[in-house]
Amino acid sequence: MNPTILAFETSCDETAVAVVRGREILSSVLSSQVDLHARFGGVVPEVAARAHTESIRSLTHKALVEARVHPDDLDAVAATEGPGLVGALLVGHEFGKATAWARRLPFVGVDHMEGHLFSPILEHPDYAPPAVVVLVSGGHSQLVHVEEWGRYRVLGATIDDAAGEAFDKLARAMGLGYPGGPAIDEASEGGDPSTIRFPRALPDRRHDFSFSGLKTSVTTFIDKAKASGDLPPLADVAASVQEAIVDVIVDKTINAARDTGARIVGGGGGVLANRRLRARLAEACDAEGLRLVLPSPALCTDNAAMIGAAAVHWLEKGAITAWESTVDAGRRLG
Amino acid sequence: MKVLAIDSATPAASVALSDERRLVASTLRVDRRGHSAFMVSAIDFCFDQAGWVPEDLDAIVVDVGPGLYTGLRVGVATAQALAAAIGIPLVPAVSLDAIAYRAATGHRHIWSVVDVRRGEVAVAAYRPVPGGVVKDGPAQVVTPDVFRAMLESDPDDVLAVGDVQALPDGLLRGLHRVKVGRPRYPSADVLLEVAAGALDKGEYPHPDEIRPMYLREPDVTINWSTIRPESPWGAS
Ligand SMILES: [Zn+2]
Repeated sequence: MNPTILAFETSCDETAVAVVRGREILSSVLSSQVDLHARFGGVVPEVAARAHTESIRSLTHKALVEARVHPDDLDAVAATEGPGLVGALLVGHEFGKATAWARRLPFVGVDHMEGHLFSPILEHPDYAPPAVVVLVSGGHSQLVHVEEWGRYRVLGATIDDAAGEAFDKLARAMGLGYPGGPAIDEASEGGDPSTIRFPRALPDRRHDFSFSGLKTSVTTFIDKAKASGDLPPLADVAASVQEAIVDVIVDKTINAARDTGARIVGGGGGVLANRRLRARLAEACDAEGLRLVLPSPALCTDNAAMIGAAAVHWLEKGAITAWESTVDAGRRLG
Repeated sequence: MKVLAIDSATPAASVALSDERRLVASTLRVDRRGHSAFMVSAIDFCFDQAGWVPEDLDAIVVDVGPGLYTGLRVGVATAQALAAAIGIPLVPAVSLDAIAYRAATGHRHIWSVVDVRRGEVAVAAYRPVPGGVVKDGPAQVVTPDVFRAMLESDPDDVLAVGDVQALPDGLLRGLHRVKVGRPRYPSADVLLEVAAGALDKGEYPHPDEIRPMYLREPDVTINWSTIRPESPWGAS
């Protein structure tokens, strides 16, 4: 069964629409609000909700045209149900539900995090659980054991900041702009990651992350180094900071694979677009004999194709979402 | 002509269907928690009642506000999706107009009120004319005190309609020429009447022009430290 699905994702600051056939992407378009929010130094929920409302109609048209799919050929409509910003979620969810109703198609509400769990399958059709999946973005940092599709165990999570938030805060401490992830990735170009060894948090909690302590130590280091007049070059500091975050993510991911016995490691979330993290995960998985399956950077960040991929699973199970359904901003996996 | 009207601008959400200007089905629910659980199921219910299928529709009317932002977006997103999926035009209608239209009786100057939260109301004035009302100035967002001053300086006898209950207790006390009337909220059946002229003339704006009427910039706290952080390495 390879149903053709029109999918919507509007949980945060990307308006995304995709058409998938089975797990094949026919089109995946988005209208990024990054520049819009960069003017404010962070995502503003009301600004996000307004922008979704303005672009979703024309993006839907674009997704169908690019996919060369006539609405008559659709088998279902899917949309993100949560977690996310409630006002933002509502736009895509409502638009999706109404589209499904008008075309007399089943509607499938999808968990955003589950969408990320499915994202590797879009480029690697043979990807299948059991797997350990590292989900790191501006809104979330989790390690999930995917026992089978639909059965998830959250092994660990961040106890303070999400990895993406940590990048934002550390970028600020180093005088780099928002969003922090790409800024640090760029600033660390050519830098030596072993210049400064910043502390790695929570070594004794095998699957949990913590990033808030890092900010303090980076700020303290910079202040002291500046006062003593030997502040290392920015590239070296940025590379060292990035290494501290990357180390923690890689270590905990490998711990999770060892502890669950999973032989496959997957990933999702915008932080996985970071080049150093991808390279280090590849090395570590290689050393352990694990198969690493990462989506390409465009499918690591929020997109609607992953929502479509997850919807295929639920559609096959006959799990149709009722018209009375609504969004769940605080939804949790598992 | 078969028309669907959708209203979710206020705590009351409603759906109505008309055929050649005759009301065929309608449903309404007052619920402060939001309208997304109601809207599509209410449309489904009304179509069942009428024995219609989506392709029977010729046009959709949607309340674009002013009102509560989340509700407006639920209504506009639903209407946009339906219009695009069925391939029919969309007509915007204004909540304050619908309230004044339903209230239009007698000779009083009508002030229509919609609660837009955060201590403010959206208001607009209307003159009753045979068969409806004519707007007497633009919709504005004001504090209750400013609204009271506007009523006080109105030389006419006034009928205040809409969500007058959202105003602080006793705000209108002592305003002897002001009478309070109904309805409290706009509703989809009235939108059908308010939009009848535009529907008859086939005046359909481009769908991208149909957006919630916010009348207020979004609340934004600018995080200056993230936008322009100070670089320890100095200006580069
Ligand atoms: Zn995400």
